[in-house]
Amino acid sequence: MNSPLLMNTRNLSRDFGGVRALRDLDLDVRQGLIQAVIGPNGAGKTTLFNVISGVIVPTGGSVFFRGEEITGLPTHKIAQKGLTRTFQNLQLFADMTVLENVMVGMHCMSKGGFFASAFKAPWVIAEERRVRDESMEWLRFVGMEDHSATVAGSLPFGSQRILEMARGLASNPELLMLDEPAAGLNSRETGDLARLIIRIKESGVSVLLVEHDMELVMSISDHVTVIDQGHKIAEGDPETVRSDEKVLKAYLGEE
Amino acid sequence: MRFPPFVRSPYAGFLLFSGMLAVLPLLLTNDYYLNVLIFIGIHAIIAIGLDLLLGYTGQISLGHAAFFGLGAYITGVLSAKASWPPIAGLVVALVGVGILAYVIGIPTLKLHGHYLAMATLGFGIIVQIFFKELDFLTGGPSGLVGIEDMVIFGYEFDSDLKYYYLVCVSLALTLLLSINVVQSRVGRALRAIHGSEVASSVLGVNVSRYKVGIFVLSAVYAAFAGWLYSHYMTFVSPSSFDFMFSIKLVTMVVIGSLGSIWGAIFGAALLTSLPEFLYVFEKYETTVFGLILITVMIFMPKGLLRGVEDAVLAGVRVVRGKGDDK
Amino acid sequence: MTLSQQILQYLITGVTVGTIYALIGMGFNIIYNSTEIINFAQGEFVMLGGLLTVSSMRILHLPLPFAALVAVIGVALIGTLLNVAAIRPVKDPNPITLIIITIGASIFIRGVASLIWGKDPYPIPAFSGEDPIQFFGAVIQPQSLWVMGVALSIVLGFRQFFGKTITGKAMIASAFQPRAARLVGIDTRFMVLISFALSGLVGAVAGIVIAPMSMTQYDIGVMIGLKGFCAAIIGGLGHFWGVVIGGITLGILESLGAGLISSGYKDAIAFGILLLMLFFRPQGILGKTKGDRV
Ligand SMILES: Nc1ncnc2c1ncn2[C@@H]1O[C@H](COP(=O)(O)OP(=O)(O)OP(=O)(O)O)[C@@H](O)[C@H]1O
Ligand SMILES: [Mg+2]
Repeated sequence: MNSPLLMNTRNLSRDFGGVRALRDLDLDVRQGLIQAVIGPNGAGKTTLFNVISGVIVPTGGSVFFRGEEITGLPTHKIAQKGLTRTFQNLQLFADMTVLENVMVGMHCMSKGGFFASAFKAPWVIAEERRVRDESMEWLRFVGMEDHSATVAGSLPFGSQRILEMARGLASNPELLMLDEPAAGLNSRETGDLARLIIRIKESGVSVLLVEHDMELVMSISDHVTVIDQGHKIAEGDPETVRSDEKVLKAYLGEE
Repeated sequence: MRFPPFVRSPYAGFLLFSGMLAVLPLLLTNDYYLNVLIFIGIHAIIAIGLDLLLGYTGQISLGHAAFFGLGAYITGVLSAKASWPPIAGLVVALVGVGILAYVIGIPTLKLHGHYLAMATLGFGIIVQIFFKELDFLTGGPSGLVGIEDMVIFGYEFDSDLKYYYLVCVSLALTLLLSINVVQSRVGRALRAIHGSEVASSVLGVNVSRYKVGIFVLSAVYAAFAGWLYSHYMTFVSPSSFDFMFSIKLVTMVVIGSLGSIWGAIFGAALLTSLPEFLYVFEKYETTVFGLILITVMIFMPKGLLRGVEDAVLAGVRVVRGKGDDK
Repeated sequence: MTLSQQILQYLITGVTVGTIYALIGMGFNIIYNSTEIINFAQGEFVMLGGLLTVSSMRILHLPLPFAALVAVIGVALIGTLLNVAAIRPVKDPNPITLIIITIGASIFIRGVASLIWGKDPYPIPAFSGEDPIQFFGAVIQPQSLWVMGVALSIVLGFRQFFGKTITGKAMIASAFQPRAARLVGIDTRFMVLISFALSGLVGAVAGIVIAPMSMTQYDIGVMIGLKGFCAAIIGGLGHFWGVVIGGITLGILESLGAGLISSGYKDAIAFGILLLMLFFRPQGILGKTKGDRV
C-alpha cells in the first residue's frame, strides 16, 4: 500500500431527500492497484461512483484526483482528467456499431470540431484513420475484434459489459471504475472478466471495482473497502476484510 | 449490411444524387413542376438540419419554422426596406440566426423530452407573433412585399430554371457539409449523445456544447433556406412560418427516416409534393396528414425509407430461402 | 373606468380564462400521471366538447344541459378511442414517438372536425342570461361565474375521486408503482384507459363552459390546449393543485399584459412566461425536482 495516492474522497456525503446514501465517506484509491468497494444492496456504491465521476453533485465533502480537487466539475471535464467508468445498468450506444462505440471512447484522444469536420480538413481524415486503428487495437485487447461491425445493442449481454470496458479504456484513463461488471455473467465469462481486469491493471490503469461476486472480488483485489448505509465499516486486504465481524454482520443482517 | 455497398458510401450517393438533380429539369414536361422542385429543395435543406438535431442527436424542436421565418424576414426586410443586395442579407441572416439560436439554445437544450418540445414550440410561437406584430418592419399579418429578385454578384436568377439550379447547388452544399459532419468525430459524438448522455459525458464528450452546436447549425440551415425562399417568392407572410409548419418539418424528418440524411430529403419531397398532386383532395389534406403521422409512427417508427427497406430485405430473404441467412 | 377598476376587470377576465387553462391542464396531468405521455390532442377535446354540444342541440334538439351531457360522454369515448387506437399499439413508447403520435392525432381530429362542422364559428347560448353583474365598478358575466363554479366542482370532484374511491387510488398506484400495482391485481391498462376518458371529460367540460364567451370552432383547440399545457408546467407537471395555481397565474398575467401592454402580444406573454419557467424552474411552482437514476 505504498503506491502514490491517485484519487481520494474526504467526508463525501450525498442525501436523496431523507435517504443518506453516502455519509462522510473517506476513500483512498492508490495507483496501480485493483481496489474494490463492496457492500449490501443500497449501500451507496453506485452513488459513490456517480458523485466521483460528476454525474451527480455531492451534498457535502470533496473528491480529489491526483491531489487536485474535482468536486462538482462537469462530468466531461473529470473524464478529460483521466477518470472514467462503466455502468451497472448498461449505457451503451445501442444503435452504433461496436467499433463506433469504442471510437466515441477516443473522443478526448482526438480533435476536430464542427467547422473542421464540415469542411473535412485534410488532417481530419488522417485523424479519423488513427482513431479507427487505435480503436481496433482496443477491441483486440478485450478480444472483440471479430464483432467490430456488429450493432452494439444486438450483442449478448456479457459482450456488452466487455464493450463498455473497452470503450472506457479507449479514453485512456488513469482510473477505470467498474460498477458490477460481473452482474449477469456466467462463470466462464466471469473467469475471462477476472483475467481481463488483471491485464488492465498490468497495462498501467488503476481499477476501482464495485462487485457483488465475492469470489471475483477476493481473488483479484489488492485492497477492499466495505461500506454499509453510506458508511465505511471496514477496509484492508481481502483476507482481513473477509474475517471482519462488522462486515459479516452487515451482510448477514441484510439476508 | 442494410444498403448495397455503392449506396452505403455516402459520397457515391452524393455524386449520383447531384447528377440526378442536374438532369431532372430535362425530364420535366411542365414548368409548374420546376416550381414544386424548388420548394422541395428549400424544404429539404431545413429537413436535413432538423434531422441532424432530431434524428442524429435525439433532440426535438417544434419551433424550426421560426428559424426559417427569421432567415426569410431578415433577408426580406433588408432587401425591401434597405435595398441591400441578397448576399449581404444572407450573411446577416446566417450570423443573426446563428447567434440567436446559440443564446436560446443554451438554456433550452438543458431540457429533455416534453419540456424541450414545449420550450421550442413556445419559442416558435413567440417569433411568429413578432412577425405579425412588428408591422413597421414586417408588414404585419398581411405580409412583406417588395423583396428584390435574387442577384448574386451581378448575375440575375430571373427564371425558374436558373433558380432551380441555385437551389440545387445550395442543397448539394448543405448535403455535403452534413455528410461530412455525420461521418466525423462530431457526428459520432452526436449519435452517442442520442444513445446515452451520461455515457457520452463520462467519455469526455461535452454534451451541452454539442447539443447547442448542432442546434445552431440546424437553425443556420433553416435561415439559409429562408433566404432562398424569400428571394424566390419576393413576398413573405407570417402564416408560412406557423406552428403547423414546424410540425410539418418534423414530419418530413420522421417520415423519411430519423437519422438518415437521405430520409430527410425523401420526406421533404414527399410532403411537399403530396398536396400538389392530391390537390383535388385539398379538403382532406390535414386529415390525411394526421393519419400518415400516426400510422408511420406506429407501424414504421424508423420511417418509411427504413420500413420499405426492411420489407424489401425480408422479401429477398424469403425468395432466397432461409439457408442464405446463415 | 378608473385604472384600478380596469385592473379589477382584467383580473376577473384573467381568473375566468385561467380556470379554463387549469381545467385543460388538469386533463394533461391525468394522462401524464398515468402514462408519462403529454397528450397534444388535449386541446381537441375542448373543441369537440363545444361542437358536439352545438350539434346535439341543433340536430337532436336537446336542451343545453342534456346536449352538454351527450357531448361530455362523447368526448370521453373519443378519449378512450385515442388510447386504444393510437397509443396502445405503439411498440417503442419513447417520448419523441409519443409526442409525434399525439400531435398526429390532434391534426387528424381537427381535420375531421373541419369536414363535419366546416370552418365557421358556432355560438352556444350563455347558461343563465347575459346580464352583467356589477362588481366594484367592474362587470362580471354570469357565464364567468359558471366557468368558475364548474371548475371548482370538478377540482373538488377529482380530489374526492383520487383521494377516496378505490378506482382513483388504483389509478394513482398504477401510475407511481406500475409493477406493484399489477402484482396486487390492478389492471393498469384499464387505468390508463380511464385516464384518457377522464381527460376527455374535463377537456369537454372546459370547452362547453367557455364556448358561450368565445364561440367555438374546429381550430380553437390548438392554442387553448397549449395554454393548458403551459398551466400544467407552470404549476408543476403532474401536480394536482399546481395546475390550478398555474392556470390562474397564467390567465391573470396574460389578461393584464394584453390590457396594459398590447393585446397582439397576449399569446407571446403566455409563452414567454412558459419559457422563463422552463429555463429557471422547470419543475414548476409546486413541483419537486426529480433526479434521474443512473
Ligand atoms: N437518484 C436517486 N434518487 C433517490 N434515491 C436514490 C437515488 N439514487 C440512489 N438512491 C438511494 O440511495 C441509496 C443507495 O443507492 P445506490 O444505488 O448507491 O446503492 P448500491 O450500493 O449501488 O446498491 P446495489 O448494490 O443494489 O447497486 C439507496 O437507498 C437508493 O434508493
Ligand atoms: Mg449499484
